Amino acid sequence: MESQQNIKKKNYSLRLERISQSLRLIFSSKIAIIGLSMFVFWVVLGIVSIFWTPYEPNATQFAQNLTPNATNWLGTDHLGRDILSRLMTGTQVILLKTRLPGIGVIPGGVALWGVFGSLLLGTVLGLNAGYRGGWTDQVIMQFLDALIAFPVIVLYLVVISALGRGDLVVILAITVTGAPGVARLARSLALDIRTRDYIRAAETRGESPWYIMFKEILPNVSSPLLVDGMLRVGYAIFAIGTLGFLGIGLPPPDPDWGNMVNEARRNIFSNQLAVIWPALSISTLVIGLNLFADGLNEEINRFQK
Amino acid sequence: MARFLIRSLVSTIITMLLVSLALFFLLEAGSRDVTVRILGVFSTPEQRASLSLQLGLDQPAIVRYGNWLIGNDWRVQRKIGYPLEAIKNEKTEEREWWANVNGQLTRWKLEEGVLIALLRQSDGSAIEQQAETSWKTIDDQENGANKQVFWGVDTKNNAVKWVKGEGKEIYILTKAGMRKEGDGAQQYIPLTKGLLRGDAGLSLQTGRPVMVTLLPRIRNTVVLAGVAFLVVVPIALLLGILAGVNEGRFLDRFISITSLGLTATPEFVTGVFLILIFGIWLKWFPAVSVFLRPDAIFSDPKIMVLPVLTLTAVELGYIVRMTRTSMVTVMQSTYIRTAIIKGLPYRRVVFRHALRNALMAPITVIMLHVNWLIGGVVVVETIFGFPGLGKYIYESAIFGDFNAIEAAAMITVLIAVVTRLVGDFAYTLLNPRIRYS
Repeated sequence: MESQQNIKKKNYSLRLERISQSLRLIFSSKIAIIGLSMFVFWVVLGIVSIFWTPYEPNATQFAQNLTPNATNWLGTDHLGRDILSRLMTGTQVILLKTRLPGIGVIPGGVALWGVFGSLLLGTVLGLNAGYRGGWTDQVIMQFLDALIAFPVIVLYLVVISALGRGDLVVILAITVTGAPGVARLARSLALDIRTRDYIRAAETRGESPWYIMFKEILPNVSSPLLVDGMLRVGYAIFAIGTLGFLGIGLPPPDPDWGNMVNEARRNIFSNQLAVIWPALSISTLVIGLNLFADGLNEEINRFQK
Repeated sequence: MARFLIRSLVSTIITMLLVSLALFFLLEAGSRDVTVRILGVFSTPEQRASLSLQLGLDQPAIVRYGNWLIGNDWRVQRKIGYPLEAIKNEKTEEREWWANVNGQLTRWKLEEGVLIALLRQSDGSAIEQQAETSWKTIDDQENGANKQVFWGVDTKNNAVKWVKGEGKEIYILTKAGMRKEGDGAQQYIPLTKGLLRGDAGLSLQTGRPVMVTLLPRIRNTVVLAGVAFLVVVPIALLLGILAGVNEGRFLDRFISITSLGLTATPEFVTGVFLILIFGIWLKWFPAVSVFLRPDAIFSDPKIMVLPVLTLTAVELGYIVRMTRTSMVTVMQSTYIRTAIIKGLPYRRVVFRHALRNALMAPITVIMLHVNWLIGGVVVVETIFGFPGLGKYIYESAIFGDFNAIEAAAMITVLIAVVTRLVGDFAYTLLNPRIRYS
C-alpha cells in the first residue's frame, strides 16, 4: 500500500515537474510570452463579455458613426451600435462558444473545435498512412493530394455553397481544409517512429495496429502536433474572419469580426475608424497565436538539441 | 527520372478526377433547389418543375456528371439520328447546336402541334419550313397505345423529345417573368460538349454559357496575379536574403517581425487598410477597380495598383520567412565557414556559394504557393470589385450556380496542380541529390 502511494505521489510530482518544465519552456522565450499575452488578453475580454459588456452589443441606441468618446470608447458603427461591446462579444463565437442548432450552446469556440476536428481527422489518416504503409498509404495520400489541390478559400466556398451557413459548417470547413496538413505531419512522424524498438516489441506482443498507433506512436508525436495545432488556431481565426468578411461566415445574431469589417467597409467614406478596430482585433489575435507558436517551436528545438 | 515524371503525371490526373467527382457530388448532395434561386420564392411548384425539366435536372446525377465532364452530344445524336454540330454564333459568341440533316443544318420547333424545321443559311440566319422528317412510332407500354415521337434539337440548344398531340404546357423564363406556352417537349437534354472539351454548360445565374463569361475573367485574374507575382518574388527573395545574412541583427529582426505581421494579417484587413490610406486619405489610387471597358486593365492600369499591393503584402511575408530560414541554414553550414576562413571576400561567399543553395527551397515553395495566391485573389477581387476568376467563384457560390462554380473551381485546381507539378520537376532538376522513388 505504502509503496503504491509513494508511486502515486512520485507520479504526481513527476507530472507537476513536467508541467512546470513546459511552463518554463514558454516563459524562457520572450516572443512566446508576448504572443501568449496577446492571446490571453482576448480570451479574458471574451470571458468578461459573457457577464458584462459596456452596452448591449446589438442594440442600436446611440447616434451613428460616432468617433471614440467618453461613453463609447471606440465609437459606434453605421447602425449606432457600441463597437467595443461588439468586439468583446465577437470573441465568444471564435474562442469560447459554439452554437449548434437544436442542441444549444457548447463551450469552446468555432476556431478551437475546427482545429480539434482537423487534428483528429488528420492524425487518424496520417498515423494510418505512416504506420501501415503500402496501399493504405497510397490511397490516403492520393485522397489528401486531391484535398490539397483545392485553394483553401475555393474549398470553403464550395463547402458552404453546398451545405449552407452555420457554426457547424464553418467547423467542418476548417476541419476539411486543415486535416491534410496535419495528416502529412503525422505521417512523416509516424514513418520515423515505427522503426523504433518499442514498436517492434508491441508488435511482437501482438497488439492491434490501432493500439500501436494511438498508445505507442501518438504520445511520442503529440508535441509537434500540438504546436502545429496552435498555429492552426491562428489560421482558423484567419479563415473565420475571411468568411465573415465575404458574408458567408458565422451567422448572426452574435457579432462576427470579419463581418464587422465588411459592414464598416461599406461606410468607409463616412466612418474610417469603425473599420480599423475589428481589423486590428483579428490581426492582433492571429499575430499573437503565431508569435506564441513560433516562440514555442524555437524553444522546443533548442530544448531538444 | 522518366518513371518519376510519369508517376507524378498519373497521380495528378487521378487527383483531378477525384477532385471533379468530389466537387460535383458535394454540390449535388448539398445544393438546395436551384430553381427557387432562379425563379424566386414566389414561383409556383409547377413553374419550378417545368424549369427543372428544361434544365435537364430529371436525369440521374451520374449521367449529369458524365454530361458535365465529357459532354453528351455523341450519346444524344444516336437518339436524334443525325450528327450534331456545334457552331459559334458570330453575333452572340455563343455556341449553337444544329443537327446535320444530309448536309443541311437544321433545328426544329413545335407550333400548334406542327413540326417546323429551321434551316440554317450560310449567313447565320434560318428559314422556316414545315419539317420533312416524320414522327417515329413507338410502343407506349404504359398506356397500351402507340405514340408518335420525335427527337430533335430545339432553338435553346437542347435535345428534346416531342410527342405528337401531347404538346406539354411549359413555363418559359423570360426577362419579364415566366411565360406559359403550349407545344412543350416531354424531355429536355441540354446539349454540352463537356468540360474536358471546353464547354462548361450554361450559367444558371445569367443564362449564358459559363465559358463566355469566364474566359475574360481568367485573363483579368492572370494579369493581376502575374503582376503581383512578378512584384513579390524579387522583393521577397531580396529581403529574405538580407535578413538571413544579417541573422540576429536589427535589420533581421525588423524584416522578420514585419513579414510575420504581414502574413498574420488577413487579406481583407490589408486591403481595407490600403484603401483607407491610398484611396481615401491620400487619394492617390482608385479605391475600387471599376472596369469602364473590358480591356481596362491594359488601358487604365491605375485600377490594378491597390489590388496588386494587397496581394503583394499578403504573399510577401511568407516567402521572406522561407528564404530567411533557408539562408540562415546555409550560412551556418560548414562549407560556408570554410569559404570564409580561407579568406574569400564575404560578398563573394554570399553570392557565389550560399545563394545557389539557399534559393533552392524558396523557389520550389513559391511554385507550391500559387495555391495560396489564388485563395488571396478571391478575397482581393471581392474587396476591390475586380471582375476576375475569384469574384466569379464567389458570386456563383453565393447564388448556388453549380455549373459556374464547378468550372471555375476546376480551373483553379488545375492551375494549382500544374504549378505544383512544375515545382516538383524544377526541384528534381535543381537538386541532383533527390531520389526518384
